[in-house]
Amino acid sequence: MAVVREKGYAHWDGSLAGRRFPWMPITRTGIRLAFRKKGFKLAFASAFLPAFVALGGLYVSERLEDFKAFVQGNRALLKIDPAYFQLFLTGYPLYFILIVVLSFAGAGLVAEDLKHNALQLYFARPLSKKDYVLGKMSVVAFFVILLTGLPWILLVVFKLIFAGNLAFLAAYPWLPLSILGHSALLTVFFGSYALLLSASSRNTRYVVVLIFGVFYFSSVLSAILRGIFRSPYMVLFSLPENLRQAGAALFGGKLPHAVPAVWSFLVLAGICALAAAVLARKVRSVEVIK
Amino acid sequence: MTAVISAVNLSKWYGNVLGLNDVSLEIEAGITGLLGPNGAGKSTFMKLATGQLKPNIGTVAIHGRRTWNAPDLFRTVGFCPEPDAFYEDVTGFEFVAGLLRFYGFPKKEIGERAARALDIVDLSKDRDRLIRGYSRGMRQRVKFAQAIAHDPEVLILDEPLSGLDPLGKRKLIKLIKGFKDEGRTVLVSSHVLPEIEALTSQVVLVHQGKVLAQGDVPYIRDLIEAHPHMISVRSSDPRRLAARFVGDPAVLKMTFGADGRTLVVETRNRDHLFGGLTAAVLEAGIEVEEISSPDDNLQAVFEYLVGK
Amino acid sequence: MTIRSAAREVFGFFFVLVRRTGRTRTFALLGLIPVALAVVARVFLRGRSGDMAAVSTEILMVFFLQFYIIILALFFGTSIAAEEVENRTLVYLITRPVPKPAIVFGKFAAYSALMGGMTALGLAISFFILNAARLGEPALYATFFRYLGVLVLGILAYTAFFAFLGTVLKRAIILGLVFGFGWETAIQYFPGSTQRFSIVHYLKSLLPYRPGGGGGRGVALLLFRLEPTAPLLAVLALVGITAVFLALTCVLFRAKEYLSED
Repeated sequence: MAVVREKGYAHWDGSLAGRRFPWMPITRTGIRLAFRKKGFKLAFASAFLPAFVALGGLYVSERLEDFKAFVQGNRALLKIDPAYFQLFLTGYPLYFILIVVLSFAGAGLVAEDLKHNALQLYFARPLSKKDYVLGKMSVVAFFVILLTGLPWILLVVFKLIFAGNLAFLAAYPWLPLSILGHSALLTVFFGSYALLLSASSRNTRYVVVLIFGVFYFSSVLSAILRGIFRSPYMVLFSLPENLRQAGAALFGGKLPHAVPAVWSFLVLAGICALAAAVLARKVRSVEVIK
Repeated sequence: MTAVISAVNLSKWYGNVLGLNDVSLEIEAGITGLLGPNGAGKSTFMKLATGQLKPNIGTVAIHGRRTWNAPDLFRTVGFCPEPDAFYEDVTGFEFVAGLLRFYGFPKKEIGERAARALDIVDLSKDRDRLIRGYSRGMRQRVKFAQAIAHDPEVLILDEPLSGLDPLGKRKLIKLIKGFKDEGRTVLVSSHVLPEIEALTSQVVLVHQGKVLAQGDVPYIRDLIEAHPHMISVRSSDPRRLAARFVGDPAVLKMTFGADGRTLVVETRNRDHLFGGLTAAVLEAGIEVEEISSPDDNLQAVFEYLVGK
Repeated sequence: MTIRSAAREVFGFFFVLVRRTGRTRTFALLGLIPVALAVVARVFLRGRSGDMAAVSTEILMVFFLQFYIIILALFFGTSIAAEEVENRTLVYLITRPVPKPAIVFGKFAAYSALMGGMTALGLAISFFILNAARLGEPALYATFFRYLGVLVLGILAYTAFFAFLGTVLKRAIILGLVFGFGWETAIQYFPGSTQRFSIVHYLKSLLPYRPGGGGGRGVALLLFRLEPTAPLLAVLALVGITAVFLALTCVLFRAKEYLSED
């Protein structure tokens, strides 16, 4: 039997069932709307700061002796000089955060285009390979500069404001340049690193694993090789240690390892060159099937 | 006839977007075409019918059994999905045979069934090639093969002809029609009208998540009373023919075709018009070469229903 | 089909499939890196047997325990659900007469067997190369099987946990990496019972060394601030973690509907 229905409004014949907690939708909507307001997420997260500081206090109370030893051994924390900036900017916590950011923002940059054959779409426009790579790299650059450049320059400004004079800048006039130079180094390295790995697979999940895995495996490998060969040059196998060496050189501080910094710069440059070579091969409008 | 696939007040939301809106329908044995433009809700219905999605409101059942979390149902149901997605690192044979393992067939039977299914879709020669190396048409055919390999009673096919060349389409259409002759139930979706017309006259028209019409195309057409029927008559003397119809109150509008031999008449009473036409041929001796109904097809019915 | 028989078929299908992918070959090669290092160590540390023991602990357990099994379990564990959704192949499984929990069990078993095999191969070859001088000692084999047991339990526990994450979350792999390389590393600095909120604590509690005992520098790294749990309890905890997260994965996988991004 044929049936034709009107396109318009159709009265619903179903029966209405009440909710167990009729006020829930109002509450849920109100909370969702609050989070939609600009700045609320930041304000809400900041509201937890006192709790986290208190948690830190709890931790310290349980590890009081360790804390005292840490403070004693790290007087650098109480003295604001280029070493202070170097401590934070060449530390594993920052590298970890950068790797997490890269996993979100960088892993799929080329991998997704390879997966969906989108390169043809890009190059069907007046866009060169250089533009494509530059565009993709800029995505990583945006985040890395935001994390490693901007806030630290602002910290220098805050230091001057808190001090009420320019003595700090007079003592270390090259510090802002060091911060910017170090940020540029991290930008170029992490941009190349992310694109190199993103171009090596069509599976973004696998690329995320590679981004973490290669970075941390290099440290493990370096530690093992140092155990075997007892040579500080084994540190050149570790990506984070090379970054620390290069960072220390840029801040004019003491190198973490007894290896000339130029070797670390060469290792990092080598990875950037490898990335360029791989991208030149992978990023093309036509797929060559052998 | 009892319904094989039935949906009652079926609705599905994707967040705030309504994918399917209060759909109630029954699909009986034979071939039924699910027709609608992209985004109409055809795939949503098929996913609900095959237990991939859970209804927000209402129910959908096959042989009276609800499809969500009912794996046993799939002994007798075969599904050919629309996306071009596979386990790429296996051969066509391994793909079909591998999926046949899940039915509990003995190993020998699995091999035989897989070989037969691939033979039906003309992939015997390429069965030992990796799916990664298949062309678009071959991939579509292996997808069909995995849907039929276990001899299901009910076949649900989501855009099965997409990606096939004209010859491939013809072969598959012939194959699907063969299933109807075997007494099976086939639900086929497409947004390409001629494909559905070639397969079946039983259609369900879907638009914006709603079922607009269900049934035989001519019946549906007759029921759309809002739109008059168009009858096209090619004759030796269309103007003399027109003169006979001018006074007839059942005739709403007449236009002459650009070829100078065709008269197109719009009427709400087709039978009355045909009676008049017969009289014109017999009494006035007008030679009628061809009579057709330009809007008695799926395209026109669909356009009327969606208000184009 | 019953869950058991269906899981067996799922295991068979995916055990063949997963061995063919390029990524599996890459992970397998990664697992053989300790073999290369073991050969290098034997060549360069000839005559320094004390160092050999330290290096063997360092290579094997730092590499396998704190890196390799985590990477493997993360990728393959999250793949149980996420891979099927990303590749849009889930439809082929859930439109078969296979109960959804069987898909989870079958894939978990297949991937765990593969990971166990890759780990065992790398561990066995590197371990026996490093300890070639002691092949006549029965105690060596006991140590080897203890190491292997720890790693296998670690694979099972991590895979079950990451499978759960992969079923619940869209971006499970990133959270998994933060857990595996962040939380599991940082937890050792936490006092009291906090360490027990990690998988690595129970694994380290099963190592054949104790904090303050001998074993070389590598052991100090692994057992840093460890307040070990009794071995039997540690095994029960790991088995419990595996069972609980696998059960949760099955429940969620059965209840959840997966939408592809198209």
